Amino acid sequence: MSNLINVYQQRPAAAHAESPLFHAGLEQLAGKGSARAGVTVREKKLLGHLTLRGDAKDPAFAGGVHKALGLELPVALTLVAAGDTSLQWLAPDEWLLIVPSGSEFAVEQKLREALEGQHISIVNVSGGQTLLELTGPKVREVLMKSTSYDVHPSNFPAGKAVGTHFAKSQLVIRHTAEDTWELLIRRSFSDYFWLWLQDASAEFGLAIKA
Amino acid sequence: MSQVNRLASGGRVDRSQPLTFSFNGQSYQGFAGDTLAAALLANGVDIVGRSFKYSRPRGIVAAGAEEPNAVLQIGSTEAAQIPNVRATQQALYAGLVASSTNGWPSVNTDLMGILGKVGGKMMPPGFYYKTFMYPQNLWLTYEKYIRKAAGLGRAPTAVDPDSYDYMNQHCDVLVVGAGPAGLAAALAAARSGARVILADEQEEFGGSLLSTRETLDGKPAADWAAQVITELSGMPEVTLLPRSTVNGYHDHNFLTIHQRLTDHLGEIAPLGMVRQRMHRVRATRVVLATGAHERPLVYANNDVPGNMLADAVSTYVRRYGVAPGKQLVLSTNNDYAYRVVLDWLDAGLQVVAVADARSNPRGSWVEEARKRGVRILTGSAVVEAAGSKRVTAARICAIDVQSHKVSSPGEVLDCDLIVSSGGYSPVVHLASHLGGRPTWREDILAFVPGEGGFQKRLCAGAVNGVFGLGDALADGFEAGVSAAAEAGFKAVSASLPQVAVRLEEPSLALFQVPHDKPTARAPKQFVDLQNDVTAAGIELATREGFESVEHVKRYTALGFGTDQGKLGNINGLAIAARSLGISIPQMGTTMFRPNYTPVTFGAVAGRHCGALFEPKRYTAMQSWHLQNGAEFEDVGQWKRPWYFPKAGEDLHAAVARECLAVRNAVGILDASTLGKIDIQGPDAREFLNRVYSNAWTKLDVGKARYGLMCKEDGMVFDDGVTACLADNHFLMTTTTGGAARVMEWLEIYHQTEWPELKVYFTSVTDHWATMTLSGPNSRKLLAEVTDIDLDKDAFPFMTWKEGQVGGVPARVFRISFTGELSYEVNVQADYALGVWEKIIEAGKKHGLTPYGTETMHELRAEKGFIIVGQDTDGSVTPDDLNMGWCVGRTKPFSWIGWRGMNREDSLREDRKQLIGLKPVDPNKVLPEGAQLVFDPKQTVPMQMVGHVTSSYMSVALGYSFAMGVVKGGLKRMGERVFAPLADGSLIEAEIVSSVFYDPKGDRQNV
Repeated sequence: MSNLINVYQQRPAAAHAESPLFHAGLEQLAGKGSARAGVTVREKKLLGHLTLRGDAKDPAFAGGVHKALGLELPVALTLVAAGDTSLQWLAPDEWLLIVPSGSEFAVEQKLREALEGQHISIVNVSGGQTLLELTGPKVREVLMKSTSYDVHPSNFPAGKAVGTHFAKSQLVIRHTAEDTWELLIRRSFSDYFWLWLQDASAEFGLAIKA
Repeated sequence: MSQVNRLASGGRVDRSQPLTFSFNGQSYQGFAGDTLAAALLANGVDIVGRSFKYSRPRGIVAAGAEEPNAVLQIGSTEAAQIPNVRATQQALYAGLVASSTNGWPSVNTDLMGILGKVGGKMMPPGFYYKTFMYPQNLWLTYEKYIRKAAGLGRAPTAVDPDSYDYMNQHCDVLVVGAGPAGLAAALAAARSGARVILADEQEEFGGSLLSTRETLDGKPAADWAAQVITELSGMPEVTLLPRSTVNGYHDHNFLTIHQRLTDHLGEIAPLGMVRQRMHRVRATRVVLATGAHERPLVYANNDVPGNMLADAVSTYVRRYGVAPGKQLVLSTNNDYAYRVVLDWLDAGLQVVAVADARSNPRGSWVEEARKRGVRILTGSAVVEAAGSKRVTAARICAIDVQSHKVSSPGEVLDCDLIVSSGGYSPVVHLASHLGGRPTWREDILAFVPGEGGFQKRLCAGAVNGVFGLGDALADGFEAGVSAAAEAGFKAVSASLPQVAVRLEEPSLALFQVPHDKPTARAPKQFVDLQNDVTAAGIELATREGFESVEHVKRYTALGFGTDQGKLGNINGLAIAARSLGISIPQMGTTMFRPNYTPVTFGAVAGRHCGALFEPKRYTAMQSWHLQNGAEFEDVGQWKRPWYFPKAGEDLHAAVARECLAVRNAVGILDASTLGKIDIQGPDAREFLNRVYSNAWTKLDVGKARYGLMCKEDGMVFDDGVTACLADNHFLMTTTTGGAARVMEWLEIYHQTEWPELKVYFTSVTDHWATMTLSGPNSRKLLAEVTDIDLDKDAFPFMTWKEGQVGGVPARVFRISFTGELSYEVNVQADYALGVWEKIIEAGKKHGLTPYGTETMHELRAEKGFIIVGQDTDGSVTPDDLNMGWCVGRTKPFSWIGWRGMNREDSLREDRKQLIGLKPVDPNKVLPEGAQLVFDPKQTVPMQMVGHVTSSYMSVALGYSFAMGVVKGGLKRMGERVFAPLADGSLIEAEIVSSVFYDPKGDRQNV
């Protein structure tokens, strides 16, 4: 690999890790919420997050990505997934790749190898964001309280992902399965979103899954 | 006295559920299903308040949103106070506490009433403008007393215990109003498969169907309504919003709906429930089925309690089983009003007479009344009501509408209830919110919604001037079909219930009833009851030259306040038109603005209050900061540790201690909030050359450099250190507050100006946590927790290294914002707290002290380092900052700001320039922001030559010092400037270099 880019293993082999919502003590709260919760929240924490930039119109780019990940580049406002790996369109030349915790360094190297010689960018942003998974019959109502984007299945089917306004900030909403949604939130805003979600779910009953 | 006016049977109230409530301190009983107004009328409460200006006793007039008088204060505790609740819209609940908003000491014996009787003559429209205008400086005094004497409810002074929120809705068809037309429209649209929202302000869906005497398919109309509601509630794409007022129609078919979720249950929402919700709806099509308000006739003393609207009395009788009187007189100009007569007779009560302004009415309902023996006086109207606290009689005269004259002395008939109907005014408010002017239809004597224009809406039913029940149903269904079709859904065919066919005759244009005396001399004829506007007042306004309807409105207060002209508007402009000798359409109508009815502030605020008022951003070390007693400072949305006080320390003591610790030992700062942007690509270096003022071509891998960023005008807008991580890879840092702005700036320039440059930017602000070790002991301390070679030659100033810190992979930058030996440790944020704690532990024997932003600010100022936004204000060039060394004057490609900073004005020698200020008295601290002058003896206004930008008392220096900008300051070293302060004192200071501490930089280079 060239030394044009400074790439290194940023995650320690063994060290105490605190996800963005570590301070909320979600593990201690698990199972203690409402028995018939309208909304269940789980932090999918400490995953590997890589921001990928490149030229979507260049077949070599799409080919390289496919070669490294086995995934097609998703088109606008969608995400594709295979197992624990997902690839989401963020902008015309930008994608978010989420991989199992700790594999991000190896995946980045594999991608860089497959895209050798192309003008691309891969940036490890694992420490800066986290995923919140929301399930339950009242998730849509909570989303409707929070964002002006239309979350009705006719406009927001499973497989769609949208960066949008949420409460007084922004995040990415991912509709991953019929009753499952994910919020991609930035670390520094995570406390605000967590407070907001607790408040917005209060009337429906909230449960936490570890 | 227990429900004296409650009928023995009938109504939709639940007589098995009696509810106790209180009004003005007295306890009453009503039934579940009552509105507060229905319950008050059931108990024979005639007077609900005193009028705004004349303090006349007032009773309930209407049964819905148009009620002008029964605007009450609700709440048993201070926190639960709700002002301006219309009793006609408030469901009764057990324990409801209500009181009048006007009237002291009580509504029944009001001292103001006596003053009002006297004062009335002295208080024509414009009274306040005319009387209290001069002298101007007394206005504040006047205002205090005027406010006390007038006004409606009061706001609570305690904290609101309830919660409120928003719901963002999207639909194909929003139907406003669930009366006959609205239900039919919703049904048609829903059956076609569209996403439908049906909103209605009342407790129950159905509107007039709940109280009409008409039948559908031979059954009570309410049965059909129930059947439709059942069908709609079973459809997954239909959202039903009862108790929800569509209050605003905004641009792009965005409507706001105020839903009252628990106001029918109690004054405070039950635990876990949201009290009110604001629905923010984006609708592809809107069907307005807002109905119509009955228009009262304007006659003398028409405000005495016992004067009511015809429809409202029908509603009280049929829907609530309440008869607000015994002997009824009706004054009307139309057929529909005869329904109240039949309803009254059905309830077994006495109809004294009907005065019909038309000469020979023969409609079906008229004939039915006639057949039942009702005395009908044609060509006549109620000219004057008698009574003070309750109607005792009505004087009915023959009138000549054409010449606006009374043509007979008339007869006085004893009665306790006068109901009037001057026809219907369609509720055109929502249709007008975006500026569409209503149009006058002479055939129905009403304004109907004008062209929708940019509103994508249809109107149906009474709002469209379609008043008959069968026609309204058909009109509604058709509108629902069209709306769904326009939203892309297939039409369904109509299946509507049958309505009996009747002969209906047109009404006669009658608004103000003539009186024997001229309007100005006759007893008061009220047009707008809430604002105490009389027919005489409107005539006076036109005589005084107010010809535009908007001016008449503002001069008289017609249609002001919470009323918004619901009852009085049309009558008022008809009177103005007659007075001016023009037609109603020539007169035109005033416009309506959101909101249709008042909305609580809670619903407007939603959840954006308290802890959720504004996002608060935290770093990965926040829990440690809290445990260690940090005080926090807001920097943008970030909460940054400001200082870490020990027991007994104030800000100054803590900062003095923290400063000394950094200068003499070592300190640690959480610098995670600085913006960080990862830049990759073969053209990254060239891009930096173009966005920074200085040159980047020769920055080697492993090195870092300070950069200034300017806007096109050559003025500094951000700064920071950028490091070269690899040939095609840089890490840029920005100010905390400028992070998002700079990121956007880079993207804009890349995408619009230089798309050919191969470079990508990615924000990594949140990914990296940054801890700064600063002070002479920092090397020794860091050495204990890292495997990086910290030797001064191996790791010199302005370079970076990769290695382990506290067992975690890190990038360490040797850069300094304090002027001391400093290392910035960057690790993935997930691991930062552990690393921080290891450093703190290792730092104990090195005198490690955590410090906050205040200490950082002071230390950097001692070194003359600027803070963008504090020492700059968007009007300073790098040269103004004496930072010409940071300008790449020979860079080959022009860069942002170069042209701007070379304009003639940017090169003036007497521009304000950044300098240091040393107060002559070393103990005096210049206030930041203080203006500076050269000559303190000049007369005010003095010529100001600059101001103080940063100012501190330095422990390390032993004296106070400041930075500031002074005209031509860089050539004035050693000269004196003066800061004249607001308290009259003066601080004298010497202009010196802005670098106070270690000017050669020995300490940071060790």
